[in-house]
Amino acid sequence: MILGLWEGAYRVTQVVSPTSWRSWNFPAPSHVLDAALGMLEIPTGFGNPLNTPGWPRVHSDATAGRPAAHVYNSPLVIANLVSLTRLAIGFGVSILIGGFAGLAMWRWKALDDFLGPPLLGVQTLPSVCWVPMAVLVLGINENSILFVLVMGSFAAIAISLRDGLRTIPPLYPRAGLMLGAKGWRLYRYVLLPASLPALATSLRQGFSFAWRSLMGAELILIVPHRGLGYLLQSGRDFSDIAQVIAIMIVMVLIGMLADRWVFAKIQAAIQVRFGLA
Amino acid sequence: MRATIPLQSEMPKSSDPAPLARTRGRLRLDHVTRLFNGSADHGVQDISMTCEPGEFVVVVGPSGSGKSTLLNLAAGMIGPTSGTIDLDGQPVREPGPDRSMVFQDHGLFPWLSAAQNIEFGLKMSGMPRTERKDRVAEALRLVHLSDSAGKLIHELSGGMRQRVAIARALVLDPAVLLMDEPFAALDAQTRTLMHAQLQELWGQTRKTIMFVTHSVGEAVRLADRIIVLHAHPGRIRKEIRVALSHPRNFDSADINQLVRQVRKEIEDEVNRVNRSTADAYWKPETPADMGNDPGVMGGGI
Repeated sequence: MILGLWEGAYRVTQVVSPTSWRSWNFPAPSHVLDAALGMLEIPTGFGNPLNTPGWPRVHSDATAGRPAAHVYNSPLVIANLVSLTRLAIGFGVSILIGGFAGLAMWRWKALDDFLGPPLLGVQTLPSVCWVPMAVLVLGINENSILFVLVMGSFAAIAISLRDGLRTIPPLYPRAGLMLGAKGWRLYRYVLLPASLPALATSLRQGFSFAWRSLMGAELILIVPHRGLGYLLQSGRDFSDIAQVIAIMIVMVLIGMLADRWVFAKIQAAIQVRFGLA
Repeated sequence: MRATIPLQSEMPKSSDPAPLARTRGRLRLDHVTRLFNGSADHGVQDISMTCEPGEFVVVVGPSGSGKSTLLNLAAGMIGPTSGTIDLDGQPVREPGPDRSMVFQDHGLFPWLSAAQNIEFGLKMSGMPRTERKDRVAEALRLVHLSDSAGKLIHELSGGMRQRVAIARALVLDPAVLLMDEPFAALDAQTRTLMHAQLQELWGQTRKTIMFVTHSVGEAVRLADRIIVLHAHPGRIRKEIRVALSHPRNFDSADINQLVRQVRKEIEDEVNRVNRSTADAYWKPETPADMGNDPGVMGGGI
């Protein structure tokens, strides 16, 4: 509805006074859609004056192993795959580090006193602030992007996991001990399942941190494999406002869908099981 | 659910574990002291008591008398500051399945079904799956919950949860069953049903039971022997043998008479505690209608 009015207003303005609304300053919805579909290699005829007809692209160089000659060589699908692969690897590492840190801080009070405040500090640090350090220490490569992602999200996972573990009723380990679950069995059969709601919450929180960190890192660190953040930056470089907005929408959509369809679903399933919902 | 619970045993007695149970399950506390933060206000002091095999002992006292501390000591959840606790001659050092416990808030695992909760202890003991299945089925039958085996804990009513908790404790064939105000959170009707069921269960299994409560009525209904505790710190004030036969009719005059007598004992204690903590303008009184005639205690049977 809003989009329809917006598009309509644009079309009317173009007829009445073509100079008052320039599509390269602010696009109409059709331009954004055109940019998005163009990046998917589906040319449309909506008439974005910047890139009609279709989308300029060069493929041959990449397959020949030479650096791509043209910025528009990364269609949306490839960028998504690249970003999601990085996310999977980085988020996985982040879960491992954050998980162990959270568990250890919950288990040992002294460690919590020691690590807790710095971790909270790390969590408040915007993740792109890790970029300079990543560049100097690791160089501009995949590792530095993953580094930024991990540093941006593991603290959030550790802290929310620790806080969640603290809410496990002490009655559960007591009951477990009474029933003969000692040592690692207490962890495996009582504390681990009891911590599932906390784990789900921390994953959900960790994901949104990880996604934001990754987009920031990709935006700044330009490496051979081009992710969504790179497409956003190239849109800026080529003053293509339609592309910028299209990419932002894709980022929001992915973040939202992952949260709604994956993490919220996991959380809801666990809460139903535990009778919390 | 309530309509389906038989008040008295209508089921065939399970294969009789009584001969075994009679020879094990002597829980002995010898001059046990456990104080918290070095203060004499919390914990128990110099408690000596013995639960004989197959005996139903109820510990009753006002809050602050260390009832739960006593039970946690017996369970091995906490250690005594001084004194010894032993079960059948073996010193109690840590929690274990031979002293299984039923908690006030049931302590059932919400991620497991009723049957899986009961199975948990057996699984921890390394019992093979097929044998576990049989034992769990039997335990579920014992508490009349065979139809709810697959239900999750939050799908069960309060009374059903406590029955699952009791089954979970009994399935391990413990020497002693420790019960920490297990029915305190239930409504009055359900509690009465649970009392009847517990009597029935105890009659069938003849476990030693150490039962903690603040309800005098509950104590008199269930106990062979009532131990009344002092508060701040917890000390044994009095032991009352309840010589009424089992199973008991909870409405009988004998029980009501005894309840009044024991309540008097507790009332004095509660008032003493309240007086020590309240300001000068509040004078809690013992109600006048509380008869106190030690001559008929447990008598008249």
